[in-house]
Amino acid sequence: MKNKKNQSPISPKIKINENYMKEKIGVGTSFDVGFRDVTILKKTAHLYYLTGLCDSSIIVELLKKLVEINDNESNLRKVAEIVENRLVHQQVTRVKTMDEAVDQLLSGLIVLFIDGEDEAFVVDVRSYPGRSPQEPDTEKVVRGARDGYTENIIQNTALTRRRVRDERLRHEIVQVGERSKTDICISYIKDIADEGLVKKIKDEINKIDIDGLSMADKTIEEYLVKQGFNPFPLVRYTERPDVSANHLFEGHVLIMVDTSPSMIITPTTYFHHVQHAEEYRQAPVIGTFIRWVRFLGIFASVFLLPFWLLLVLEPSLLPKDLTFIGPNETGNIPIVIQIIMADIGIEFLRMAAIHTPTPLSTAMGLIAAVLIGQIAIDVGLFSAEVILYVAISAIGSFATPSYELSVANKISRILLLIITSIFGVPGFVIGSTLYILLLAMTRSLNTPYLWPFIPFNIKAIVHILIRVSVPMTKNRPSIVHPKNNYKQP
Amino acid sequence: MENEMLEQNKQEKPVSLLTKALLTGFVGGVLWSMLGALAAYFNFTSVSPASFILRSWLQTGWSDSWLGQLISIFVIGVISVLLAIVYYGLFRKMKSIWPSAIFGVGLWFIVYFLLQPIFPNVPQMAELSMDTVVTTICLFLLYGIFVGYSISYDYLDSVTKKNV
Repeated sequence: MKNKKNQSPISPKIKINENYMKEKIGVGTSFDVGFRDVTILKKTAHLYYLTGLCDSSIIVELLKKLVEINDNESNLRKVAEIVENRLVHQQVTRVKTMDEAVDQLLSGLIVLFIDGEDEAFVVDVRSYPGRSPQEPDTEKVVRGARDGYTENIIQNTALTRRRVRDERLRHEIVQVGERSKTDICISYIKDIADEGLVKKIKDEINKIDIDGLSMADKTIEEYLVKQGFNPFPLVRYTERPDVSANHLFEGHVLIMVDTSPSMIITPTTYFHHVQHAEEYRQAPVIGTFIRWVRFLGIFASVFLLPFWLLLVLEPSLLPKDLTFIGPNETGNIPIVIQIIMADIGIEFLRMAAIHTPTPLSTAMGLIAAVLIGQIAIDVGLFSAEVILYVAISAIGSFATPSYELSVANKISRILLLIITSIFGVPGFVIGSTLYILLLAMTRSLNTPYLWPFIPFNIKAIVHILIRVSVPMTKNRPSIVHPKNNYKQP
Repeated sequence: MENEMLEQNKQEKPVSLLTKALLTGFVGGVLWSMLGALAAYFNFTSVSPASFILRSWLQTGWSDSWLGQLISIFVIGVISVLLAIVYYGLFRKMKSIWPSAIFGVGLWFIVYFLLQPIFPNVPQMAELSMDTVVTTICLFLLYGIFVGYSISYDYLDSVTKKNV
């Protein structure tokens, strides 16, 4: 696609350029493309800009300087040089083709054509609408930095650079999307990150051939990891600059996409999704405690309900000490149907909570808790124990730091429930084995997904089970194949 | 080549690879036999680690209690180190996850079919319940993957220096 584009050069006759602009980008039709005509040293000059993406005060300043040329200069033969000199801005470049000029104009830069010149001047006066850094909702910490990435890629690179002042940090930018021309930045530290990985990511991104990336990072992810029917998240997202700086130091490669505050961290394993910045803001022991409780929650969110269902279906499995488990009276509906209904009910609530305005969601919580929960038991629809275990496993999913992982685990749980209710013990055992086996076979950018559990790596698993203090972590994780293994030179 | 100075290009010594394999073997044996003991506690399987390690020789009361299980788990860990050496010696060059899965299932056949006469406390294959067969095969399969895949991954990783 990119090669087929005909590269029309900038004509020395300004009328031809003007017609091109009228035809191609609809100057005069689209109201957001502006145009200003000035005369400099008896030559016509045309200035194009995009209202809304430019900083007007700078443009006015530049125009003032340009008009002053007529008062101060007289050399009619060197108009281009004089104009370039008088464009008092640090980012001025010359372009030779109309396509380049149009691309730049539509990104919010201003383009200046001068009659008789086959080059145009492009000045970067961009100022994009957007918010300032805020704490991301999904990754809150009690103490520590409260800034988060925004939708502006320039701000995002700046937030990273604030934490990594290394001269070897690279921010490589590419444009993807035939129509959207979205900027994508690949960040890595040159002497740590694996060259093969950087190259692979660049190749995959360059291969993307699509109109536009309206869903930004998610679209890139789908091209990058080729997920298929696998529900598990194959990349980790973060909106925290400190988390991404930490991963850069470990040798990961980050991908930021303009218009999205979520950075993609690659390569990722299952265990990247069960960690949270909060653990690193607390004492190592506390961090370890938080982490173990969280692991318990995640484990419960997958296995608790199917296991309990199994014990209800076959009470003979229970050892002597645990015979109290299981409902005292069998309800009117099979337990598995009750569990799935209650689980779907929680899913209703969760989905509704995402797009319900806050004032209404309080009422929603009340209805859910009091009416549905209590009355469903009173009516005889659900047994009380079902509500208890469904609630525990739901809270377990909420305790999963990665939203994507919690949803994938929920799907696994429902499948396990169904297979357990049909086949009993063999169903549960084979289902759980398949869960581990399929995860172990999954690969994200050639990285085994269950590393460091399967394949086993003792050092790395200790770092996952125990939050080791920073002075004690001397090596980078081997899974990223760092060029330089020592964190403390 | 300046690249040879880089950490990632340094050859790892085969000794450390073997040590890793031994460690993986021990942890694998302990981990999966612990799960086996848990499965036996919940009556998924009638065969627990203790039933073929200890109870074939010792019919005392304590050998069926938690202490018996604990000792058996440790013994299985040690036996598993030997298995890891075997895998390291014979199959470490296998690439995918499947050879290790077959290794696990094969091990199940050896233990429950060929070696069954050694363990008087383990019933014959035909007498095992469906639950027991499925649970133990799954545990052996996961054990095989854990030990085998880890060893071959480590080996390939040390040869190619990248994920394969």
